[in-house]
Amino acid sequence: MRLALYVTCLIDLMRPSVGFASLRLLEAAGCEVVVPEGQTCCGQPAWSAGNRGLAADLAKKAIAELENYDYVVIPSGSCTDQIRNVYPQLFADDALWGPRARALAERVHELTSFLVDVLHFSAPPAEFQGSVTYHDSCKGLRALGIKPQPRELLLQVRGLSLQEMPDCEECCGFGGAFSVKFGDISTQIVDRKCESIASVGADAVVGGDLGCLLNIEGRLRRRGDHHTRVLHIAEVLAGGGEN
Amino acid sequence: MSAAKHSQAMHFQARAGKEVRNAVLQRALQKAKPLFVGKRAKGIAALSEDKLEFEALRTACEDIRNRVLTDLDVWLAIFEERARASGAEVLWARDGDEICRHVVDVARQHGVTKATKSKSMLSEEARLNEALAAAGIRPVETDLGEYIVQLAGETPSHIIAPAVHKTIGDVEALFAKEHGRPVETRTSADIPAMAREAREVLRQHFLSAEMGISGANFLIAETGTAALVTNEGNGRMVTTLPKVHVVITGIEKIVPTLEDFATLMRLLPRSATGQSISNYVSLLTGTKQPGDSDGPEKTVFILVDNGRANLLGSAYQDMLRCIRCGACMNHCPVYFSLGGHAYGWVYPGPMGSVLTPLYTGIENALDLPHASTGCNQCGSVCPVRIPLPKLMHRLREEQVERGLRPWSESFGLKAWALVAGKPALYRWVMRRAARYLNWLADGSGSIRIFGLAPGWTAGRDLPVSSGKTFHELYAARKRA
Repeated sequence: MRLALYVTCLIDLMRPSVGFASLRLLEAAGCEVVVPEGQTCCGQPAWSAGNRGLAADLAKKAIAELENYDYVVIPSGSCTDQIRNVYPQLFADDALWGPRARALAERVHELTSFLVDVLHFSAPPAEFQGSVTYHDSCKGLRALGIKPQPRELLLQVRGLSLQEMPDCEECCGFGGAFSVKFGDISTQIVDRKCESIASVGADAVVGGDLGCLLNIEGRLRRRGDHHTRVLHIAEVLAGGGEN
Repeated sequence: MSAAKHSQAMHFQARAGKEVRNAVLQRALQKAKPLFVGKRAKGIAALSEDKLEFEALRTACEDIRNRVLTDLDVWLAIFEERARASGAEVLWARDGDEICRHVVDVARQHGVTKATKSKSMLSEEARLNEALAAAGIRPVETDLGEYIVQLAGETPSHIIAPAVHKTIGDVEALFAKEHGRPVETRTSADIPAMAREAREVLRQHFLSAEMGISGANFLIAETGTAALVTNEGNGRMVTTLPKVHVVITGIEKIVPTLEDFATLMRLLPRSATGQSISNYVSLLTGTKQPGDSDGPEKTVFILVDNGRANLLGSAYQDMLRCIRCGACMNHCPVYFSLGGHAYGWVYPGPMGSVLTPLYTGIENALDLPHASTGCNQCGSVCPVRIPLPKLMHRLREEQVERGLRPWSESFGLKAWALVAGKPALYRWVMRRAARYLNWLADGSGSIRIFGLAPGWTAGRDLPVSSGKTFHELYAARKRA
């Protein structure tokens, strides 16, 4: 089984440790992992802005790059949604790219859903002394149905206790360009998320999408919370060093 | 588009900025949100007590609405014929101005000097109250929330809870002034007393108005009936006491049969307030007949287009399924950060972000389709399964196609796509960016003021990496 790890732009630029943790985790689950060299952006920013032409250009590039693997795994619900649900829409009436987009869509998986639903893997090689609370990212939850998978995996981590926060399914206010275009609305929304997090007093807040996590961490720190750790689920499940 | 002249949607950014800083408004919204969400969740969960299932009901409701929209002209013709047969008059209005002309004409024909109103968002589209006042006819809102909003000289900020942005203190001040009494200190325990006070004032209006104006939640084609779903009982007073009753509603509100209406009623009150059924459900057909104890001598239906027909057969037709329950805004993180007024026109929240550009001109509401995190909390609660984020997305595409986006945005995306199309260049740019961010963070691990995205760092830090990209570190590791 040949598996491609797709490292999102945000992970590449803002937190490489999430990419390495995903790699370790997939290898621990017995996969032969390849990081395709030519991978860049899936085109979601262009799509979200309404620019179908640019989104299609980048989608074609990503399809050509990723279609020759048995599986493509992405440590992000948002980018997975783009390839799984948006690419087939982009090429719905395209005789050449439509079938290729649909074939790739069937083989692309978000990390935790791949581990649990495809591999039936439930022994993350990690230990975490402390309590965590899980933030359900919108695209993962509502576009891909990811809800039990991360929790199932977290509960297998030695030493870890899971404390659900109220409104864990509420949006954190990130929304990509939204958080920059409408910074003050976004801040208002993430403030409510920060209050939910504070109300359970967990040692760490964990999620599956780096965009949401940067938003949450950025706001927590600005509010003066310097102790709650903000971690990608891959970092918790893979355990071990920074890289 | 005549609706455009009253829209403030182009000022969304500025208005939003003001609303997030309005502490009183924020308190009111934070109090309301869990009530809306909690009540709906309970109402939907309780479907199982009646051996009903939400997704199956949603499909049934979606199908009914789609069936109507496929042959809307036919259902409207049937409705018109049955309504006339039962003694009602049926008028058609292309836009808000025509609604106002019809209502004023009818009022003049019957010597009306005062009109009581139950909730009607269509009358907001038409700004009917202004037109009535200009014609010397006094409009009196009788829905409690609408009454409060009218006293304040404002417009509704929510389609089913028009005064959700008001605190009890705001309401007390308005009542004291209008009802000619001193201001008292009020708590939520006083709400029943305050409602009674409003009721006593409104009763005089109910008894003296010559005309009642209402909306309709649905028009039932097979019987020529207007269906009205209310909780306060004011709707009954407005539609039965005055000698003239005017119903103003959109042409898309038709349902074929009473049976279909019953199906939609399984989800409408539950989605709105969590109730299995609203306190009052009125089915109003024709005029007062010999032997009837009450009812109007004259019933006039005004069926309104105001942009709706344009959506038929378009990429936005799904929006016409809307049954105005308000669940989309009740579950919207953006709505609950701002309240409804920031949206600038009649309809707030996700439904407004779709309807305002469509009814007032895409070029007149450029921000609204972008004012969404894409979370799809709205789409997952909509009882008629309107894909709201998809419709907002289609509006974004139309802005791009029509060249309505700022030059800087288009240029930025093109530059990004160009770079992302060339992996070697992309790696180089990302490495430079990582170094730059790390330099800005100056060893602190995060940036507090970031000139390239000031919107981000106005409210939060930007946590950054150690200055090296994943692909750079991975390549180095492979070489080692």
